[in-house]
This record gives sequence, C-alpha cells and structure tokens, in this order.
Amino acid sequence: MRSDPGGTVDVNADPRLIESSDDGVVVLSLVGEHDIKTAPQLEQRLRALVETDGGVVVDLGRTTFLDSAILKVLLDAVQEARRRGKGFSVLLPDDAQNPAVRRIFELTELVPVFPVLASREQALEEARGGRQEP
Amino acid sequence: MSTRADLELTLPARADSLTVVRQALAGLAEALSWSEDFLADAKIAVSEACANVVIHAYGDGEGPLHMLAWARQDTLECVIADEGRGMDPKTAARSTGLGLGLPLMSALSHEVEVKSEPGGHTRVRMVLHQDGAAEGRGGA
Repeated sequence: MRSDPGGTVDVNADPRLIESSDDGVVVLSLVGEHDIKTAPQLEQRLRALVETDGGVVVDLGRTTFLDSAILKVLLDAVQEARRRGKGFSVLLPDDAQNPAVRRIFELTELVPVFPVLASREQALEEARGGRQEP
Repeated sequence: MSTRADLELTLPARADSLTVVRQALAGLAEALSWSEDFLADAKIAVSEACANVVIHAYGDGEGPLHMLAWARQDTLECVIADEGRGMDPKTAARSTGLGLGLPLMSALSHEVEVKSEPGGHTRVRMVLHQDGAAEGRGGA
C-alpha cells in the first residue's frame, strides 16, 4: 500500500487504495475507477481493517467510478463492522467530481445503509461511534 | 439507427477490459458533447453488462467480449455480446454478487433486451436517452 505524500492525485491514473489514519480511525481512499478488477483487493483490505481496533471510513472523494461488485464489498464490510460493534462510514464530499459514483448510490438507494456522509468530520464521528446491530 | 455500428470493440473477457470500454464511452461522450450525467449513466449500464460477461460467460476459460455502439448526441444504443456458455437459472442463482447488474441497466435504459440460452451466446442490447427520463433525474 503506497502512502500518499499529500500531493495532487491524478484520478485518471491506475486505481489504487490509499490509507491514512485520523485519531484511531482508518480512512481508506479509493482513488480512480474501481470495479470487479479491484474488488478482491478492496475486500481483503477492508476485512483486515474491520477486524482491528478503531473505526473505518471509506473515502470516495477521489473515486471516479465504482460498480455493483464494489458496492457488494462495501456492504459486506459494513455488515461485518456492525456485527463486531465497529464504526463504519462512507465519505462522499459534495464537491467531489464523480457523477457516476453519486448516480449508482442514488439508484441503489444505499446512502442510508453505510451511511454515506458528505463531511469528513461527520464520517469520522460516525466511524468512531460504532454501533452494534443484530 | 443505421445497422453499421459507430464503434465496435472486441476485447478479452477479463476484468481489466472494463476500463477500456469505459474509456471508449468517454471518447464518444467527448465527440458528441454528452453531458457528464449521460456519460455516467452509460458507463454504469455498459460496465455492468460487461462485468456479467467477464464473470459468467466462459467459466474458468477465456473468450471475447464484443461491444457495439450506435451513438448520437442524445442517444446511445449498445450491444454487449459474448460467445460463451449462455445463462440459465442455475448459473444466475450461483452468482455471488448483489444481482444489481440487470436492475441497474433497466433503471438507466429506455430499453433492455437480454437474449441468452444455456449453451448459447448471450447478447444484451440497451438503449439510453440523454433526457434522463429513464429514472430519477429531474430538471437541468
């Protein structure tokens, strides 16, 4: 996993995952286009993160495309997080330029499920909260 | 639409072909001045159809994915076809995905046709209109 030095990210480059940490919460950024090709890597990484301490935020601010295979990976992860009482949220900032990502969430009505939040602070707070669900 | 496609692609039915398909759609979008929203809809619908080919058409083997597109300023007709083993209810039931591919295509398209038989090829044809009347998009 490459660390992000914080420079400009070319969202048209190869897709990748970038991790950072914010006060005990791991923020996993999906950069570029993600689909069945990258779903296995994402699944593996999320499974490992959900098993450790601290909450997880999946940051879609620099995601330019994601398909139903990625949605399934995210759904499996949030379900496992709930099962373990871990915090989990998805961040999709209002100013992110990714109509395809917004559209697939809109069509599948999955915004409340994760939940998908527009502010980084809200997403971090949700991830720190953690809630147990049956 | 005239019978000769504006764009024909044959790619290996592999996961990394999907990005090529989406780039081809982006090329059409630029040439035809599609809105960002229309391109987004086209990418989602077509990519889901192609993902189905990659996952289901050839089992552990290999084979081609065919894409044909007839594109106008506010319409896209797209056919995704394979030469694989066809779909049957058992194959569909074994799918480990969310099963959202076809519902997404239907939600985004004015027309969707799927032709597939066990042991035969599968062909998905979809027509999208830029007015966005298929689902959900209101206003400008």
